[in-house]
Amino acid sequence: MQTCYKASAWLMAIPLLVLFLGFTIYPFFYMIGISFTNCNLSAWEVPKWVGLKNYATIFDDLVAAGSVEFTILLVLIAVPLEMLLGLFVAFLIDDVVGESFWRSIVVLPMMIPPVVAGIAWKMLYNFQYGPVNYFLSFFGIHRISWLGDPVMARVGVIIADVWQWTPFVFLVLYSGLQSVPQDLIEAASVDGASRWHTIRYVHLPVIRPLVWVVLIIRLVDVLKLFDIVYMVTFGGPGSATHTISYYIYKVGLSFGWDIGYASALSVLLLIAVVLLTNVLIRVLNVRQLLGL
Amino acid sequence: MRRALLFAAIACVLVYSAMGTSLAAEKVTLNVWSSPDNADALHDLATQYTKQNPDVKIQVTPLSWEFLYPKILQDVATGTGAFDVTTWDVMTAGAVAKGMVDLQEFRKAHPEAADPDYDWNDYDKMIWKTWGVWNGVNIGLPFYPASMLFFYRKDYFEDPKIKVKFKAKYGRELTIPKTWEETIQIAEFFTRKYNSDSPTEYGIALMFPRTHTLFYMYPIFFAPYRRSAEGISKFGEVNPDYGDYFTHDGKPAFNTREGVKAINIMKKLMSYAPDPLGSDYGETLEYFSNGTVAMVPQWFGVWASFVASEKLKPIEKTVGVANMPGGHPVSGGWALGLNKASNHKIEAFKFMQFATNKNNDKYKFLKYGLTPARISTTKDPKVQNADARMDVFAEALAKASHRPRIPEEPKLEDVAVNVLSGILMGSIDPEEGLNRIAKEWIKILED
Repeated sequence: MQTCYKASAWLMAIPLLVLFLGFTIYPFFYMIGISFTNCNLSAWEVPKWVGLKNYATIFDDLVAAGSVEFTILLVLIAVPLEMLLGLFVAFLIDDVVGESFWRSIVVLPMMIPPVVAGIAWKMLYNFQYGPVNYFLSFFGIHRISWLGDPVMARVGVIIADVWQWTPFVFLVLYSGLQSVPQDLIEAASVDGASRWHTIRYVHLPVIRPLVWVVLIIRLVDVLKLFDIVYMVTFGGPGSATHTISYYIYKVGLSFGWDIGYASALSVLLLIAVVLLTNVLIRVLNVRQLLGL
Repeated sequence: MRRALLFAAIACVLVYSAMGTSLAAEKVTLNVWSSPDNADALHDLATQYTKQNPDVKIQVTPLSWEFLYPKILQDVATGTGAFDVTTWDVMTAGAVAKGMVDLQEFRKAHPEAADPDYDWNDYDKMIWKTWGVWNGVNIGLPFYPASMLFFYRKDYFEDPKIKVKFKAKYGRELTIPKTWEETIQIAEFFTRKYNSDSPTEYGIALMFPRTHTLFYMYPIFFAPYRRSAEGISKFGEVNPDYGDYFTHDGKPAFNTREGVKAINIMKKLMSYAPDPLGSDYGETLEYFSNGTVAMVPQWFGVWASFVASEKLKPIEKTVGVANMPGGHPVSGGWALGLNKASNHKIEAFKFMQFATNKNNDKYKFLKYGLTPARISTTKDPKVQNADARMDVFAEALAKASHRPRIPEEPKLEDVAVNVLSGILMGSIDPEEGLNRIAKEWIKILED
């Protein structure tokens, strides 16, 4: 009976295992292998082994350096903004009149496909007819070249990302706030704790594991940012808004067809993501906080 | 009884499926990938073709330039046959050639597929060579051989009051600009920041974004130097495959005094344009259609957008068309190619001939404004009198500058656009930037 049970369990798992091996594990090792070759789809030649040449090239590549720089900027600016705003909105909406209505409104940007959001932001940023510049004109601010100025284009991408993904942070933290035991809040109230003290000493410690989890998810997501850049700025002006993922797409699939080099960039991105995630998990003690 | 009914039902389903399969097998579905500017015409022609040939269904899929080109390259490289027919951009000829059927050989091998009424000699030699041939091989049928044109506000250029003011300010008549230096002056005049009486807010709409657009905008400023007598003696005649960016023997020609002059003109003009680095094709159309600017260099096919604009009515009085200042617009446009990996080559080839025959060449111009590819169409009185573009089309096409069509084009383009964009936004010195592009291009070509 036990053998039969095990066999049927395996039978049920096999399709998924085959898919996982075929579409995740095999491509992963294939990518690592191909990163040591000169594989180029436009060359129509059998790839040759080039050792670490692709990895060495990365350090001389100015566009790759610019892409890393902008991606780090996104991590340092967009992610903290999303965390702070998400947390703030979660507390703001918690227990207010019409809570479910406000909750639905706040999560709307997250529901919009990033490609559609990108098109919308491109229209919003239009220099001459865009609503953003129109709105700013009421404050005496002259038209801003959101897509033509390197600094403003970066700001534009950050705003679009914050707009789209703050709702995700909000949703996770808001759900955390709902799980704060009522008796703790009441006990704090009986002890004469102010609203601020209740937030600081009751709410925040309870939702802290969720804060770290959502922070890690957003960090990993931002490191992979592609769609907003592709739709809004196309990486420009110059290479001001190239992210690493966008650059990998360009090198490998759009203009370069240099699969070997794109794979080397992907491997480095993967290493960066894994390292960052592991360091954060250890430093923030996430496993223990989640009881894992 | 229940079992008998069940068997009967299963038998019915099986018979129905078998019938369906056999019926479906008789029908051929052709997948046609198209750039957006060709899509309406191709869809219309596909519908007509299916009416005449009910056994051929044609699915036309419009894909934006940024998406279509990589997808064609992807299919060319992998040979999956995701499309049967595609529009390929003239500048991508070398890159896509490996995946396209040699149509001349195909005609010989499949005489039954060749349309006996198809006039192969009705193509101008230059058009046939540029939009149909790569490296001596016929890889496509010219569908929309275009060049850029210079559109301007005819009503303003002919307004006596404006003309007087212009003469008072610059000491010469307001005429359609023949050089970029004249264009800078006129653009300044029509920019309200520099002339409070200007009827338009800006002088000219420019598209210098970080897309392939910038790659075709630079040659319209560089070609007047490249193709001048001095330029020809310095760089040699233009090799159509390498285009104006290169010398005759395939070396970069732009990292020179002439190349720097060209980019400096672009920088000067930017002062009189709305958001040139953030504007692309669509934005510049809007600027001109809405009366924000007085001039715009644009493609032949944009006429329909101007015709539809309320602010440009009546168009024959408000919009004038001229050859590009400097005399050398850039060539562009599309050919129809047949995928080597297609499973329906004969049906696809028949459709390609239908879409490019004499009747439909004229039809797609008159209905959709797509440039005629055939000599007979350009000589047709109805076509000649259709609109202002036809007055300058022949000259523009004959003098058009070219981008490189070599297989390395995608890489060259990305390198160039990245640095050109940096130069225009002021973060890279022009001379240093052009040298950087040249250095990287040489490396790409050597690799």
